[in-house]
Amino acid sequence: MLAASIILILVSGAVLYWIRPHKRAWAGWLSTLPPLAVTVWQLNAALPLLSGAGSASGGKADLQNGTIIAEQYRWVSSLGLELSFRLDGLSLLFGLIISGIGVAVALYTHYYLEDDERQGYFYLSLFAFMASMLGLVWADNLLTLFVFWEGTSVTSYLLIGYSHRSAAARGGARNAFIVTAGGGLALMAGLILLGQAGGSYSISEIVASPGLTELDLYPAILILILIGAFSKSAQFPFHWWLPGAMAAPTPASAYLHSATMVKAGIYLLARLHPALSDHPLWMWALLLFGGTTMLLGAVFALRHSDMKALLAYATVSQLGVLTTLLAFRSEAALLAVVVGILSHALYKGPLFLVAGIVDHATGHRDLRRLAGLRHTLPVTSGVALLAALSMAGFPPLFGFVAKEALLESVYSAGEHGDAAGWLAFGAAAVTGAFFVAYSLTLLWEAFLRPASSDEASSSPAHFPNHSGATPLHHPPPSAFVAAPLILVALGTIAPFFLKTLSRLFTPAAASIAAQPVHVYASLWHGFTPVLLTSLLAIAVGILLFLNRSHLRRILSQLPDNLRGVVLFQDLLDSLYATAQISARFSQGYTLATQSGVVLLAASIPIVVALRQINLTDLFPSPLALPGAPETILILMIGVSAYLTARVTSRLGAIISLGVVGVSVTLFYVFFSAPDLALTQLLIEVLTVVLLVLVFTKLPADIRPAMQRWKQAGNVLVALAAGAFGFFLVLFNSSDAMQAALSISNYFLHNAVPGGHGANVVNVILVDFRAIDTMGEITVLAIAALGGYALLNAPRVRLPSPTPDQSEAEHPTESEGADPVAGTTRLNIDPPTDPKVK
Amino acid sequence: MPELYLRLLNRILTPLLLLLAIYLLLRGHNLPGGGFIAGLMAAAAFELQILSRGHERVRRSIGPYLNSGIGLGLAIAICSGFAGLLNGVFFKGLWFDLHVPLLGELAVGTPVIFDLGVFLVVVSVATSYLLGLSRVSDSAAPNPDGAPSPELSDSFETDPTGVADDSRVRNKR
Repeated sequence: MLAASIILILVSGAVLYWIRPHKRAWAGWLSTLPPLAVTVWQLNAALPLLSGAGSASGGKADLQNGTIIAEQYRWVSSLGLELSFRLDGLSLLFGLIISGIGVAVALYTHYYLEDDERQGYFYLSLFAFMASMLGLVWADNLLTLFVFWEGTSVTSYLLIGYSHRSAAARGGARNAFIVTAGGGLALMAGLILLGQAGGSYSISEIVASPGLTELDLYPAILILILIGAFSKSAQFPFHWWLPGAMAAPTPASAYLHSATMVKAGIYLLARLHPALSDHPLWMWALLLFGGTTMLLGAVFALRHSDMKALLAYATVSQLGVLTTLLAFRSEAALLAVVVGILSHALYKGPLFLVAGIVDHATGHRDLRRLAGLRHTLPVTSGVALLAALSMAGFPPLFGFVAKEALLESVYSAGEHGDAAGWLAFGAAAVTGAFFVAYSLTLLWEAFLRPASSDEASSSPAHFPNHSGATPLHHPPPSAFVAAPLILVALGTIAPFFLKTLSRLFTPAAASIAAQPVHVYASLWHGFTPVLLTSLLAIAVGILLFLNRSHLRRILSQLPDNLRGVVLFQDLLDSLYATAQISARFSQGYTLATQSGVVLLAASIPIVVALRQINLTDLFPSPLALPGAPETILILMIGVSAYLTARVTSRLGAIISLGVVGVSVTLFYVFFSAPDLALTQLLIEVLTVVLLVLVFTKLPADIRPAMQRWKQAGNVLVALAAGAFGFFLVLFNSSDAMQAALSISNYFLHNAVPGGHGANVVNVILVDFRAIDTMGEITVLAIAALGGYALLNAPRVRLPSPTPDQSEAEHPTESEGADPVAGTTRLNIDPPTDPKVK
Repeated sequence: MPELYLRLLNRILTPLLLLLAIYLLLRGHNLPGGGFIAGLMAAAAFELQILSRGHERVRRSIGPYLNSGIGLGLAIAICSGFAGLLNGVFFKGLWFDLHVPLLGELAVGTPVIFDLGVFLVVVSVATSYLLGLSRVSDSAAPNPDGAPSPELSDSFETDPTGVADDSRVRNKR
């Protein structure tokens, strides 16, 4: 059923694409059905766990080590690669978030992208992402997990770059992809090391096997996996891709960049927590990077007045909080992780969706230009109020519960004499104050504050607007607002059903701990130092909020060079520069140098190989002299090859080259290789025709002045290539080779019985070596695409055949030809003025 | 203007060449021939067309099918590989005998279908290169004032995916 759910989501994405949802009013509601079905099915499957005697331990008794459902499908068993899925407490929590938030986002998308022709494409990518994400959290095999992990990277690239005509979207998508896919590479290495070291690729077995932290490889495994998880979850120093990814359409931001994908790293850390966490390296790495991320995100959120950028930094901060919590091994910390994940999804998701509604209704989402939206968007403002207060951690909202759980757990860690606990406590308290500050900023500036006079005057006259609030283009339809409303309603009532929710939380925390846990989230802990800290943080937060303009000024004075995006761009630029230099070296300026490099490089191995064998062995012992026909052919080939190089007219060169080719064809005929002969002949004909086509348009004089040393170099390359071919053939046809390694006999004997064909060459091509041929025709197709782009490129212009122009300009120009453009004989000119260089 | 004798030759030769290509394709499994050779043969037929009728007319008639021909060929080739999965292994040949009236017993197998895919890819790739090159060499016809022809600058305006859009190239200028 787990695999079936993934397939259901994938297929429904395709169906949604096919029905052209932008033309169907009911498409939004239809799109909610598949994720809703998956949600309901998960709840149903977990029913024994959720209803079991009211306590998790009762539920656990029924279910062996927390597994609710396990499925396994063979894939590549020889690599340890299996499609195995397992639903336990942790994956249930994530699965419910993914499919549940997916319901709201799917509905919302239809209204956000109303009348957009590519809405179907967005749904397709969104559902493909949802399927990858579900596969990621349900996977019980490291390699299965990795495949789905990469699936989320690719689909998120498509989603961020959805508005592909905008440079910001393309850049954001590219950066996000490079960071997450690069992290993915590190992760793959880490997972393979872990699988080899742990002796199994099954996650449940690895988690159950003790002593992984004592391995010599442990630091390497840990660092690689942390790079993967940190890059995905936007931890410092990778945090900057997340704000850049805000160029995505808002439903994607809400779904990927707050509720689900960025939590994949957190999920991975939580999943491997039992196996890897029992080591100081784990604790300090998570504590330091998580703590830095949480402070950094919280402070930088205040700097931004774009609603989505603010929310993105707030998300970064929250992800830092979760990472920090995973540094600890106490039950309370693990519970705080679980509560934090759910509460964050239930307030940050709606906030993003609200930002999208505001953007959609007013045309912008800059806090400096928004005001008084509570008059024009009352329901949306209500949603924003509840969600933002929850983000700030005001009691009795869900965010408050999460914050209490967080502070409580690190405080108790500190109380038990753990210095890390105090560090985390301090950072969390400061972060909490900033959470309050930017939540209030968002709420006040966009929704609550009365409009200032200049904004009131700038509002269009035809829009009667007594309150001075930001005018709307068009009010959002109620179904549009329904999506965030549902989520925020769930988040608001959640604190009053904590006892029920505990049945979800406790098994999830137990999965992270790999043993039963006995702690419960609660709304009220009594008057403790933690509550005092919490209240203090709120007070400080309000102070920060009141002084936000000062803070913004200070923050905006930070130099740009410190920003990750800028640094990354520098890195990319230098990478491109290096690539250009190396391309200039290896691919040369002209076709001649390029093929020279390739041929010389190919000759080197044969030289090395020939040094290791006795050359006299290669020659057949009774050295037979060639017969008359062969001798004539050899002479013809030699003479016409020489002529090709020496003749002064292009047409003459083409013809003599053709003679070489046809003579080689005759060789094949003599030695009874009709297939080769046919192929060679056809290729010859087409080549000659092509060359005639192109060369007739070129200047008639073939030989531009060439330096002596260049000529000598060309002769050298030609000799080397000839020797290379000669010895290769000799080596292959030597008696020893034929006796020892030849596979010809196998093909000859099996062509008819195994391949049903008498033409051995063809049977090899289409049957014995069909996969090779498959690769070759794929290369052909790719070459055709490249050629298509090159030949149909608008600015390609052959040098004009009038000799005065071409001879005067071209020697210098072709020297400086641009290797990026890849054309040396063709000039590429800007269309407006071909003389500008 | 294409020569008269060439056009006359084309009338007779092109159908013959195409027939020959199909013949070579069909007999390829047992006698010299096969998808690759047949594809080149068909491309030669189209080249004759290009030379005699001009590349624009040929582009109009078969140009739209070339890119889909490449895709279709690859798809056929891959599908014939997947058909092998029914037999247990990717690309393992599946053979069955067909009784065709007039021709008698005909052995049909996935490798033959694979060869058809090869044929489609080769003919489409080669023809699209031939068309592209004849266009380029045509547009490089003597152009004394050095200004690009109107056709070229038009396509620059309307083609957003061309080299012109590459920001790195633009920055270098």
